[in-house]
Amino acid sequence: MTNNGTNKENCKRKDALISYLWAGPSLILIALIVVFPILYTAYISFTNMNVYHWNNYEFVGLHNYVNALLVFDSGFLSALLMTIFWTLVNMVLQLVIAFVLASLLNIKKLRLRNVYKTLLIFPWAMPGYVSILLWKTGMFNSQFGLLNQFLAKLGKEPVRWLGTNTMAFISCTVVNLWLALPFMITIIDGALQSLDKSYYENALLEGATWTQRTRYITVPMIKPIIAPSVVITIFTTFKQFDVIYLLTQQVGSKTGSSLHTILTYAYENAFITNNYGYSSAVSIIIFALLILFTILGERGGKGEKA
Amino acid sequence: MRGKKKEKLLLLLVNLLFIVICFGVLVPVLYALSVSLNENNSLLSSEFSFIPRKMTLENYRAVFFDEPILLWLKNSVILAVITLGISMSCGIPAAYVFSRRQFPGRKAILRGLVLLYAFPSLLSMTALYKLLTPMGLINTKAGLVIVYTGTMAVFALWNMKGYFDTIPVEIEEAAKVDGASPMQIVTRIVLPLAKPTIAVTAMMILIYVWNEYIFAINFMMGSDTYTLAAGLNSLQATEMSGSWPVFSAASLVVSLPILIIFFALQKNMTTGLTSGGVKG
Repeated sequence: MTNNGTNKENCKRKDALISYLWAGPSLILIALIVVFPILYTAYISFTNMNVYHWNNYEFVGLHNYVNALLVFDSGFLSALLMTIFWTLVNMVLQLVIAFVLASLLNIKKLRLRNVYKTLLIFPWAMPGYVSILLWKTGMFNSQFGLLNQFLAKLGKEPVRWLGTNTMAFISCTVVNLWLALPFMITIIDGALQSLDKSYYENALLEGATWTQRTRYITVPMIKPIIAPSVVITIFTTFKQFDVIYLLTQQVGSKTGSSLHTILTYAYENAFITNNYGYSSAVSIIIFALLILFTILGERGGKGEKA
Repeated sequence: MRGKKKEKLLLLLVNLLFIVICFGVLVPVLYALSVSLNENNSLLSSEFSFIPRKMTLENYRAVFFDEPILLWLKNSVILAVITLGISMSCGIPAAYVFSRRQFPGRKAILRGLVLLYAFPSLLSMTALYKLLTPMGLINTKAGLVIVYTGTMAVFALWNMKGYFDTIPVEIEEAAKVDGASPMQIVTRIVLPLAKPTIAVTAMMILIYVWNEYIFAINFMMGSDTYTLAAGLNSLQATEMSGSWPVFSAASLVVSLPILIIFFALQKNMTTGLTSGGVKG
């Protein structure tokens, strides 16, 4: 009996060892290249490392965190507010537009549906940074961008599409929608197609209007199906960097707007103004926020299922 | 009768709407295409037309012969292949083990990975720079490979684990009863079944390396070490107006492989990605 027990124990231990061996290389990679730099970032965040103190930096305690969180002029808090606003605006627009377009795509007699779908998802297939750069030069450039050429034809004054904060916000939102809508349309379209049509027939018999059907049948039914994708999109929108950086903040071609999301803010402090300690503190705060959102998101997801 | 007419009119309107939207969506790309093919680039002239009056491939010739695009392509391909090799050879066994076996620490590690997945690698750029400098890895391909494999390792593990979870265990148990060794089970049964996720994960890694520009422009100095993405970035940043036709030609050349891959794998894309627990 006891012999058997130790055998089993040995077997288990051997099994675990094999598991570690197989998972080992990947976990070591992650530990060295992902986890360690994060810990090192945390370490830098307590120092005054910058371009003058690259090697002879000193510990400054929580100084960088105090600067970021308690000094409004430092810009982090306004960047955070801007990021929240940006995420909110983009998500609402994305969901509404994607829902309308996906609903229209599902009209029964629409024969060219698949052609439209293929054309609509085209932006998803383009490499993101290429699209952004094409938008920047092709559309928004103040001299030969298409938008200003069009305005010139109408006899209007050219507009500096990326020159002010408000215009830059609108332009960035347009580009972000252009990039993100294909995914959202695909997801909502898939959800709409998976719905049971018999609910609608009953509702139609009872004389429900389109708004009623949408509000009481369609939306509640697609909600759980699209929820995971929506959560992911919220995260990507919150973490958006490419659109804002490439459109307005590239080195040597800044457009004059001072629009910042938290990610472009962290980047600017690290690689443009070279304030590494401060930027690391900002990075750690962002990471903490993301962890918080992840946990809250999981809780919310579980609550919905129950 | 009237209801039918109304329905037809509505359908016509919806079709018109979609035609306008689809055209609107494609405008930035169509414009780039038109500019890249236009012989006399009368950028500032008022008589702009979408279809170039005189076609030319001069801009495409310039892309391939006047710019070091082939060198950048070579750099990108080398980086992509090495990153792919390391990520997949580490990722597949790890994903399998996390999906199939129970061992102490499994749950905790998985939870940790979810959190790591939320961390944009951009935020640890300073730390990575500081760590790679004394090792002499800045401005080398090895340095970028290290950054890319790390970033993709978490994704590869999660994405493939999610797919392995959907493969029924019974198949493997049956093989075990028949006396197959663990190695045989993996190579003969699991890997063939996991082909879709392996293909999609590999493609996502390739696309990531192909498109990554921010580490490439910060860690690589000098245009001969650039990747395609970094190179394209430098094309548009240097001589803004002068190179716009060449830049648009280069943009389309760089996008073409990705477009082909995307539309070829479109069906797999959604299944291969949505089965995983965490997505990009």
